[in-house]
Amino acid sequence: MEKIMAKIDLSNISHTYNPNDANPTYALNPFSMTWENGNRYAILGPSGCGKTTMLNIVSGLVKPSGGNILFDDKDVTDLKTESRNIAQVFQFPVIYNTMTVYDNLAFPLKCRNFSKEKIEERVQSVSQTLNLASFLNMPARKLTADQKQLISLGRGLVREDVAAVLMDEPLTVIDPDLKFRLRRSLKEINEQYKTTLVYVTHDQNEAMTFADNIIVMDQGEIVQVGLPKELFEKPKTTFVGYFIGSPAMNLFNSKVSSDYSIEFNNLLINTKTNLSKIKEKEIKFGIRSEFIKIAKDQKENLIDAKVSRVEDFGNFKLITGRVGDFEIKSKVERETSISSENIRLYLPPDKCCVYFKDKLVQ
Amino acid sequence: MYKLYTFLKYSFVTLWTMFVVAPFLWALSTSFKDFQSVNSKVTYIPWIDYQPSLEGWKVLIKSPAKGGVDIVEPYFNSIFVTCTASIISIILGTLAAYALSRFTFKAGFVRNNDITFFFISQRIMPPIVLSIPFFIFLSTIGLLDSLIGLVVVYIVLLMPIAVWIMVDFFNRVPKELDETALIDGCNPYQAFYKVVLPNSIPGLIVAGMFCIIFGWIDFFFAFILTFTEVQLLPVKVVALNSSVTPWWSLSASALVSVAPLIIVAFIVERYLSKGNLSGALK
Repeated sequence: MEKIMAKIDLSNISHTYNPNDANPTYALNPFSMTWENGNRYAILGPSGCGKTTMLNIVSGLVKPSGGNILFDDKDVTDLKTESRNIAQVFQFPVIYNTMTVYDNLAFPLKCRNFSKEKIEERVQSVSQTLNLASFLNMPARKLTADQKQLISLGRGLVREDVAAVLMDEPLTVIDPDLKFRLRRSLKEINEQYKTTLVYVTHDQNEAMTFADNIIVMDQGEIVQVGLPKELFEKPKTTFVGYFIGSPAMNLFNSKVSSDYSIEFNNLLINTKTNLSKIKEKEIKFGIRSEFIKIAKDQKENLIDAKVSRVEDFGNFKLITGRVGDFEIKSKVERETSISSENIRLYLPPDKCCVYFKDKLVQ
Repeated sequence: MYKLYTFLKYSFVTLWTMFVVAPFLWALSTSFKDFQSVNSKVTYIPWIDYQPSLEGWKVLIKSPAKGGVDIVEPYFNSIFVTCTASIISIILGTLAAYALSRFTFKAGFVRNNDITFFFISQRIMPPIVLSIPFFIFLSTIGLLDSLIGLVVVYIVLLMPIAVWIMVDFFNRVPKELDETALIDGCNPYQAFYKVVLPNSIPGLIVAGMFCIIFGWIDFFFAFILTFTEVQLLPVKVVALNSSVTPWWSLSASALVSVAPLIIVAFIVERYLSKGNLSGALK
């Protein structure tokens, strides 16, 4: 069968739930984005940031207040959900209680008038992938919660020509062990069938391990789109720095000193960022705790800190130190012995990020 | 402590059962008595205290011409009116309830909840308030003293029950179920009857049961809106009473008129206990 998967363009999409008010509050501020065919995307953000609204707009359950959605350059904004050929999996398993597992999986194909042989073939194939083959003749309501969620997933995957499979925190109800396996099989499915997968989550680890592109959202705004590495090393806003990574990025209020250096707690820190364009002096300076090292023979970017806490996480040690009024965290190898109360830390210049009005200076 | 609790529990259940069962036992034994055994002294045990007779039962199926009371025709009238009105109420009520549960209506200050309350308010109102309007309405359209007229009135009485139960039921069915059906390629109508409706059978059964009960036991409207052509069972049973109370046939007719409800209760109970109705969506 010909595969008709699509590139999805979201052009200038915005949405408000109270369009008639004088000052409507936007669940989604205007944005544009393109989802390339066959990629894996994760939408990451705290609860209530507009992730689900975005998915519902793509699947057609919600009509956007503004903007257009294009599947392969064809405008589908006014097309109803049932004509869009999108699959969506919700946070809690939704199954058709009165049907068997087989009928549940076959339902999307039956609705679209596929031939019996085709349905049989697809259901068998999907049930193999999801380990549901032995339950096919059971009533779907008799299965456990995670198996039910597998059925929901299966209904999304059973159509080969689907434009994209949208998943709204689909693994919430699933055991951690199975979660890991499922994420892997989702990846395999993506590689095998080249289905575009969009995965909404508030768990950064899930997003990082699953997707090749991560979309970070906050308060109806898309703050950054990028690879896991980019999000980690160069967060575009202080929110991303704070939200991604564990522990959160070290962020300090500081001042611009010269074109390539800042002043922080009366210490001069060199960066690789050109700061000449910043008019005001007040900035924020951020660095990941993973990049802060205990100084050996470095000459610059050194900070003396007073150790206030050392936590052993098994695979690493987290040092919390005080520098003046600030708290600084550094992740070091677990073999490192922290001998004295005072340590000298080294901040690599290329890992130092400077934020002006909470946005990364580039 | 636990033993005391069990003891109290079973005592209470026993006591309650006696309260419920005693009138039936009384009616059952009275229905087999004749004038003599009812009116002389107190009697309990058949063949010893009194000689059982089938007279009370026979009268029920004899035509009035032969000195009987013939409750067969009112019986079938009642079945027809109750079932027809219940089915129509369930169909209309379910559709209304689905709309009220899934779509947002606005008309001035009226919102979904107000519409739902309007339906229920029809039941809160004392029925006597409706009697004169119904009477005038039915006589205007020429349906007074007819089965169809009764069906119309009973739909008015039963539909609020159906709407009330089904709105509550649909509100508990997550809207993701409908949305999933849409995503899987159903149009909204298919989503309703292929997915939502099969999932709503428990609610439909409960609503249907209530409709049948309330339709079957209604005396007031059946009494006011019919005269000679049509008679429903409750009216007929009450009409059995005369200067000399025929306790035996009154008891027999009371038992046969309760019988359908008992059967309905047993069927529904069987169905409920099989677990077919449980396990909603999670």
